[in-house]
Amino acid sequence: MPPKACLPACANASPVRPDAMDFVVTTLLNALTLISILMLVGLGLAISFGLMNVTNLAHGEFVTVGAFAVYFVQSIDGSFWLGLAAAPIAGAVVGCILEFAIIRHLYSRPVSTVLATWGVSLILQQGLELTFGLGAKPVTPPIEGTLDLFFTVYPAYRLILITIAALTLLGVVLLISRTSFGLDIRTVIQNREMAEGVGINTRRTYAIAFTFGAAIAGLAGGLVAPLAIVLPQMGVNYLANAFFVVIVGGVGSIGGLVAGSVFVGGLTSVLNYQISPSLAQAIVLLAAIVAVRLRPNGLFNGASR
Amino acid sequence: MSDVLLQAENVGIRFGGLQALEALDLTVRDKELCCIIGPNGAGKSTFLNVLTGTLRPTSGSVRFLGRDIAGLPLHRIARLGIARKFQIPSVFPSLSVEDNLKVARWGAPSPVRPVAELLELVALGNRAATLAGELAHGQKQWLEIGMALAIEPRLLLLDEPTAGMTPQETLATAEMLLRLKGEFSIVAVEHDIRFVRALNCETLVLHQGRRLRSGPFHDIETDEMVRDVYLGRR
Amino acid sequence: MIAGDRNWLLIFAACVALATIYPLIADGYQLTVIRDALIFGLFAASLDFFWGRTGILCFGHAAFFGIGGYIMALVTLNDAIPFASLLGIMGAVAGAAVVAAIIGYFLFFGGIRGSYFTIVTLAMGVICQQAAVSWSSVTGGDSGLIGIPPIEFDVGGLHVDLSQDLPSYIFVAAIVAVAVLTLWSISRGRWGTVLTAIQDNEVRAAALGHNAPLRLLVTFVLSAAIAGLAGALYVCMAGLVAPDLSGLLLSTEVIVWVAVGGRGTLLGPVLGAIFIQRAQQTISSFNPSLWPLLLGCVFVFVVIVFILPDGILSIYARLKVLFKGRRRAQ
Repeated sequence: MPPKACLPACANASPVRPDAMDFVVTTLLNALTLISILMLVGLGLAISFGLMNVTNLAHGEFVTVGAFAVYFVQSIDGSFWLGLAAAPIAGAVVGCILEFAIIRHLYSRPVSTVLATWGVSLILQQGLELTFGLGAKPVTPPIEGTLDLFFTVYPAYRLILITIAALTLLGVVLLISRTSFGLDIRTVIQNREMAEGVGINTRRTYAIAFTFGAAIAGLAGGLVAPLAIVLPQMGVNYLANAFFVVIVGGVGSIGGLVAGSVFVGGLTSVLNYQISPSLAQAIVLLAAIVAVRLRPNGLFNGASR
Repeated sequence: MSDVLLQAENVGIRFGGLQALEALDLTVRDKELCCIIGPNGAGKSTFLNVLTGTLRPTSGSVRFLGRDIAGLPLHRIARLGIARKFQIPSVFPSLSVEDNLKVARWGAPSPVRPVAELLELVALGNRAATLAGELAHGQKQWLEIGMALAIEPRLLLLDEPTAGMTPQETLATAEMLLRLKGEFSIVAVEHDIRFVRALNCETLVLHQGRRLRSGPFHDIETDEMVRDVYLGRR
Repeated sequence: MIAGDRNWLLIFAACVALATIYPLIADGYQLTVIRDALIFGLFAASLDFFWGRTGILCFGHAAFFGIGGYIMALVTLNDAIPFASLLGIMGAVAGAAVVAAIIGYFLFFGGIRGSYFTIVTLAMGVICQQAAVSWSSVTGGDSGLIGIPPIEFDVGGLHVDLSQDLPSYIFVAAIVAVAVLTLWSISRGRWGTVLTAIQDNEVRAAALGHNAPLRLLVTFVLSAAIAGLAGALYVCMAGLVAPDLSGLLLSTEVIVWVAVGGRGTLLGPVLGAIFIQRAQQTISSFNPSLWPLLLGCVFVFVVIVFILPDGILSIYARLKVLFKGRRRAQ
């Protein structure tokens, strides 16, 4: 059992205390931190769940693996940045193995995929616990100081996190819209048979897209490691929240991903000031369910499910 | 006008920039049989979707017994007395033929025909225990007609009931429908001319989403323009 | 599908017979072990009633078990409430049903099925566990609530006191038998047949006049209510309630019980629960962190070996096929 509920990003670990006037700015930046992380984690899910129709319950473990990669590299080498470079690689390796060993054999059997990926998630969690031992792993941020933003004083590392997340997302948008691989992905997603007909290797495209999503989730784990409690069981909360992002935002567009992240991340951040984190989570869940009832295809999407 | 069951007035549908249907009228009287024909892509299935309330028209209205049915949940429409046979045979493959008919009867507000009678009507009397998924294609189509009958409809809408059938099966289906004529209204969407000829009823010809002709089938059949459309000359 | 009503009833009768003679050969401790396993078996049957008949997987079913458990604990620990045991059980069943009704309403009528449903219920389980941990003024936080009294009530002049091993075993076994039989007769009759039809082709079922979302909702609520009942029984037997009871691990374990025992058979999941818990106790006695690891392997194994999820009850048929294949190969 996970000993304590560990909410993503800003809910715990050195909360930034708002003071009168800068309350709004601080809340906004806290929300932005969470939204950034959710977008990165949600991206991989939007690819696998939304577009390939694969329910991967081990997606949260990509985040965990990324965070552990940072911890591991930092503990032997001392460099956070090297660890952060290792995080997406670790996520990609795990994702690639998972796709190759299990998921590609189960494309036509959704319930089997759910069970098998959940099994993998348990194996990974226990594997990490047996390897690294019990208890939370310390990860120190590369920059300790704060930055004076005129309205408020804010931890510099969080601003770096937001910047890296934004740049990554921009990179992904460019990759999908400008490169031939991006074109392959879009073609496969729109019409699989047609894609096969024009000579695209759909199997390979799926595998690469899946691995890519895992790498981005690993990066998210690496980024969040200094802010979160790094535990083998940390993934499940990211998993649940990222699924909300995809469900609320709808699948098939970056716009949906952003909308979903803003909805889930924004609501969570705002509520976290008023009430206890788990109640905030429950309200976000209910809000997400109601949103889906009202807009079955997502806030931002016309594509059918 | 009291015996009017279904009335579509000035129905139009727009999908984005495409005008799929334009200014279509259709009146179905109680216990009347009529056909909607047209070449592929003429908008037949779309029109049928509008008539069953599954698609909301962008203009015009569809009234069943004087009531607007657009956007009602499917099961409510069924309970009003509109039965529908889908284009792709959609039976419940993991249930037996008998259970398929039972499920259909249970859905009806007041089923009348017993399952045994339904089995005979659709010529599946000896296949009652067979899993519906294992039936031949034509038998599935008949089973589906049987399921539509089980809910004791006022109106039966058939979407290409003979799709994929052999000529013999097609004629048998036409006979089946002629036997049922007079019990309730039937609207059949078809592009198989032989089938419509066998039914010989009021016919509406669609072409590119508009009404091309309408009237008794023998008038339609001899119409120059209809022939042109069917032979692809227009 | 349930293969042959007669066979099912025969196996059911054999199980009942076994459960009846078991007290004659077992000591008090063994009785309590089986009693607790049977409660989890009831929980597994409740999941199977929904998953087996609708094909929709609920990944947070322990939430209902936990809700039932906590309500039972809170009612029976409050001295001001009369007839605490009976009211507690009713409250547990109603509480689980209400939560299922609220969540189910939005999901089923919102057109949410399949994987989406699985995910949302997973999140529901996570949140329930979090709530149990952090709402400590009511739930006792991480350590839960202890000292829950055994079930005790009067019915028609008969005083029922379940503080002893044998009466509590009989009580639980009887409830499980009645519940499984009831669920089975519901699921093989008209209700279950229509559910199968909905699983096959929901649009078609709706076009025949069936209100599919409502039927799914009622099935889900009934399933949750029974899970709540199991939770209520469990905390009274164990004497304590803790956040694990609504946790994700239990939610996944129950899925394994159903999958291994045989989805859609109702009886199989009960047996699956008993046998797997037996295995769990043995394995956990070596190393407690080994169990989740093994559970993960079981999940992968279940998917790979039981490609068609018929579980334990289909092993015989599988072996037959296997040996036939061998013989042909020779």
